[in-house]
Amino acid sequence: MAHKYNLEILAVFAIAAFCIIFLYTSITAKNSGFAGTDDIAAGKIAELSGTPSGEIHPIIPQWVPPSAEVESTLFALQAALGGMIIGGVFGFWIGQKKKV
Amino acid sequence: MHIMEGYLSLQWCIVWWLFALPCLAYGVLHLKKVMDADREALPLLGVTGGFIFLLSSLKLPTPFGSSSHPTGTGLSAICFGPWITSVVCAIVLLFQALFLAHGGLSTLGANTVSMGIIGPLVGYTMYRLLKNTSVSMYTTVFLVTAFADLSTYVVTSFQLALGAVHPATGNVVSSFIVFLGIFAITQIPIAIVEGIVLALVFKYIVQLKPDILIHLNIFSEETINAARREADGP
Repeated sequence: MAHKYNLEILAVFAIAAFCIIFLYTSITAKNSGFAGTDDIAAGKIAELSGTPSGEIHPIIPQWVPPSAEVESTLFALQAALGGMIIGGVFGFWIGQKKKV
Repeated sequence: MHIMEGYLSLQWCIVWWLFALPCLAYGVLHLKKVMDADREALPLLGVTGGFIFLLSSLKLPTPFGSSSHPTGTGLSAICFGPWITSVVCAIVLLFQALFLAHGGLSTLGANTVSMGIIGPLVGYTMYRLLKNTSVSMYTTVFLVTAFADLSTYVVTSFQLALGAVHPATGNVVSSFIVFLGIFAITQIPIAIVEGIVLALVFKYIVQLKPDILIHLNIFSEETINAARREADGP
């Protein structure tokens, strides 16, 4: 029986380990702000190119979410769209399998 | 990580667009061919595309005090190859550039090359090398998805080192190592978890829709049937 669920057990352990290490880091490391690699790289580009991030101008003007909350909502919407497609297809397949 | 608007010079944006556009055009033609040959492949395309949509929206914190997101491209690379994956990725990246300002429009070509073309191409090459070996199917899926993810960030580091740092202020090789240090270290734990999760998803696809995997010749009938028997248990 354990052999049958090897992958599920491994996935649960991997996700649990990921969460525990994250919690441990967030409690113990004083400087861990969990900044996005985008922001870290942007800072490094500014440092290496000598051009401050604020002076980098877009080539094509782009709409920017007005607040972090709106941005988070839109990211959640993207995840929901993906989740709906996956759920819909898996549901369709399960329905097909039950019919057979 | 998607390269933000304005971070690459116009010349480099054009270079990466010129790289991406023929691949996307070939991907569209290949997609039409696959869909014309078998409409049953459409739901599988939906699942693989759905995972790119879902996973690339999840910004995950890592043990290194930074955060990044998975790419989810490995599953699509295995099922449909890198060219169709590039089309799906371009759609996801366009959505993120238009509605989230996550990645730029001028840098969309560069981001498509890293996440949609070279990452999946590395994964697909690995899949082809491992497909008919003694390496198990799920280990293959794990390795392909993890390496497709990691290689995306290696390419992004290279693109930034080439196009974002002025030669007078930063050497390309040393800048590449600097960016690799930022992305790769953050990405390693995320790529491992992504690999395990997508291997699990592949197991469910094998259980629910093995015929489409056999029909698309993703793995041999014997391998798929053996995996099904194993999943069904004694």
